[in-house]
Amino acid sequence: MAEFVQLLFNGLVTGSILAMAAVGVSLVYGVLRLVNFAAGDFMTLGAFVAVFLSVSKGWPLIVAILVAIVVICVLGLALDWLLWKRLRESKAGTLALFLVATGVALILRQSILMIFSSGSRKFAINETATFSFLGANIATSQLIVLLLASSAIITLGLFMAKSTIGKDMRAFSDNASLAAVSGINVNKVVRYVWIINGILSALAGIFQGMVQGRFDSTMGWTLLLPIFAAVVLGTIGDAYGALLGGMVLGLVMELSTWHIFFGGIPGSYKNVVAFATLGIVLLVKPEGLLGVKARSI
Amino acid sequence: MTAFLQPGFWVFVVLMAGIYCIFALGLQVQYGLGGILNFGHVATMALSSYTMAILVITYNWNLYLACFVGVIMAGLGGAFLGLTTLRLRGDYFSIVSIAFSEIIRYIIHNSDHLTGGSQGSLNIPSSKGYASYTDSFNKVLMNIQDKIKPIVGSFASRDMALLLIVWLTAIILLTIMSFIQKTSWARVLRATREDDDVPASLGKNVFLFRLSSVIVGSVIGGIAGIYWALEFSILDPADFQTIVTFFAWMVIILGGATRVKGVPLGALFFGFLYAGTRFFQFPPFTWFDSVQRAYLRIMIIGFVLIFLMLKRPQGIFGKREEMVLE
Repeated sequence: MAEFVQLLFNGLVTGSILAMAAVGVSLVYGVLRLVNFAAGDFMTLGAFVAVFLSVSKGWPLIVAILVAIVVICVLGLALDWLLWKRLRESKAGTLALFLVATGVALILRQSILMIFSSGSRKFAINETATFSFLGANIATSQLIVLLLASSAIITLGLFMAKSTIGKDMRAFSDNASLAAVSGINVNKVVRYVWIINGILSALAGIFQGMVQGRFDSTMGWTLLLPIFAAVVLGTIGDAYGALLGGMVLGLVMELSTWHIFFGGIPGSYKNVVAFATLGIVLLVKPEGLLGVKARSI
Repeated sequence: MTAFLQPGFWVFVVLMAGIYCIFALGLQVQYGLGGILNFGHVATMALSSYTMAILVITYNWNLYLACFVGVIMAGLGGAFLGLTTLRLRGDYFSIVSIAFSEIIRYIIHNSDHLTGGSQGSLNIPSSKGYASYTDSFNKVLMNIQDKIKPIVGSFASRDMALLLIVWLTAIILLTIMSFIQKTSWARVLRATREDDDVPASLGKNVFLFRLSSVIVGSVIGGIAGIYWALEFSILDPADFQTIVTFFAWMVIILGGATRVKGVPLGALFFGFLYAGTRFFQFPPFTWFDSVQRAYLRIMIIGFVLIFLMLKRPQGIFGKREEMVLE
C-alpha cells in the first residue's frame, strides 16, 4: 500500500509536469501546425535561467522564476517573428517546419551549454525533506510542485474555457480558415499562444528541475518524447486532450514500476512504457483519446 | 591544424560521407518517393550493427552471415514500425518514428547481458574472452590495402580500403535506385506522395506501397549500419541518437530532396562541413575554447538547416518545383 501511495504521488507529480509542457506543444501545433522540437529545450532554458538568477546571483526564487518565464515568452515571440512567420507566409511544408524546429532545438541546447557551461545544476531547495503520508515518504518539494502545477493547470483550463482569447485559440485549432473568416485576429492568437507556451514551458522546466534535484542541459530533451507521447495520446492540437494525456502517461510511467507488474518494470524503461502505452492506444483509437474519427469517403 | 594536412583525416571524412550517403539513400527512398517523413531512421543502423555484433561475438557466427542477418533485422524493424504506425496521419508517424528509434536505443542501453549496455559492444558476452567482431574482416581489408599500395602509395590504409568498399556499395545502390525510379512501383509511390485517393481509386493498396518503401529504406539503412560498425570496431548506444537521423535529413536536403543523384553530393558536402568546422582557426571562432567549439559545430548544423529551409528549401542541387506543393 505504501508503495502504491508513493508511486501514485510520483505519478501525479510527473503527470502534472508532462501535462503542462504537453499543453504548450499542443497549442503551438493546433494554431501554428508546428511540431515544436525545441519545446524540451525551452524547458531546460527556463530552469537554467531561474537557477542562475536564484542560486548564482542570489535573487529571490520567485523573482528568478518570473524572469525565466519572461525570457521564454520573449524567446518564443522572437522566434516566431524571425522564423515561423516567414515560413507560414511562404507556405512551407511539414518537412521544412520539422527541420527548422530541429535546427532551433540544436542551437538552443548548444547555446545553453556555451553560456552556462556543462555540468549539473540544483535549485537551493532541500529536496530531502520528507513527511509521512499513509506509510509513504513524500518529499515536501514534490508536494509544493504538485500544488503549484495543479493550480497552474486549473487556471489554464479556466482561461481556455472562459476567456475570449482562449475560445479564439480553440476555434483556431479546430478550423483555422473558418476562425479567420469569422473575424478572429490571427496575429493576436499567435502571440498569445507563444506567451502561454512560454509560461507553461518555463514553469514545467523549473518544476522538473526542482523535483529531479540535479539536472543538466539534456533535461528537457529527455522529457520531450514523453511530452510528444502525451500530446499524441490526447489528440494532437487539443489542449484538454494534452492535459489528460500528460496525466495518464505520468501515472502509467510511475505505476509501471510497481512490483505487482512482473516485479515492477525497471525505472530506466519509463520512456519505453510511455510509448508502449501510446502505441496500444493508437492501435485501438488512432485519433487519440479525445479525437473524433475523421469522416471517410 | 596538423590533422588538417594529414591525408588520413580526409580519407576518414570521405569514408564517413560514403556511409552517410548509403544511410541517407535509405531515407531518400521513403521521402523522395513516398513522401514519408521518417525521423527514426537511425534505428535501422542500431539494429543491423548490434545484431551483427551479437551474432559474431556471443554466438561465433560467420561475419558475412551475421551482416546479412543484421540487415534483415533492420528491414524487420522497418516493417514493425510501418505496420504499427503507417496508418496514422503524417505528423503522427513522424513523432512515433522518433520514439521508435529512441526506444531501440533505450533497450540497447539497458540490456547489459545482451548488448553490453552503456559500456557498448566491448561488454557483449563472449566465449572467447574478448569482444571483437572485426577480426576476419580486418584480414580482408589488409589484403585490399596491400593491393592498392602500388597505386595510391601513402594513402593506403585500413580506412582507404573500407572507403573503396563503401563507395562501391554506394554506387551500386545508387544505380539500383535510379533504375527503380523508372518502375511502376516508384510511380505509384510518387502518386501516393501527392494524394491517397487517386492511387487508391486505381486499385492500388496505398498502405502496402508505403510499407514496402519503409522496408526497402530500412534495409539500405541497415547496410549503412554494418559499415558503421566495421569502421569503428566498437559500438556504443550513444552513437545512435536521434541527431544522426537529422544528419541524414541534412544530406538529403543539401542534395535536393527528391533526387537520388543528389544524395552523394549532399553526403560529401555534409561530410566536409561537419569535419571541416573542426578547423575554423580564425576569428570569431578563436574566441572560443575547444570545448565551446565542439558545441559550435552542432550549432552550425542547426544554422545551416534553418538557412536552407528558409532560403533554398530545394537544397543546393534540387529543383524548387518538386519541393513546394501549392
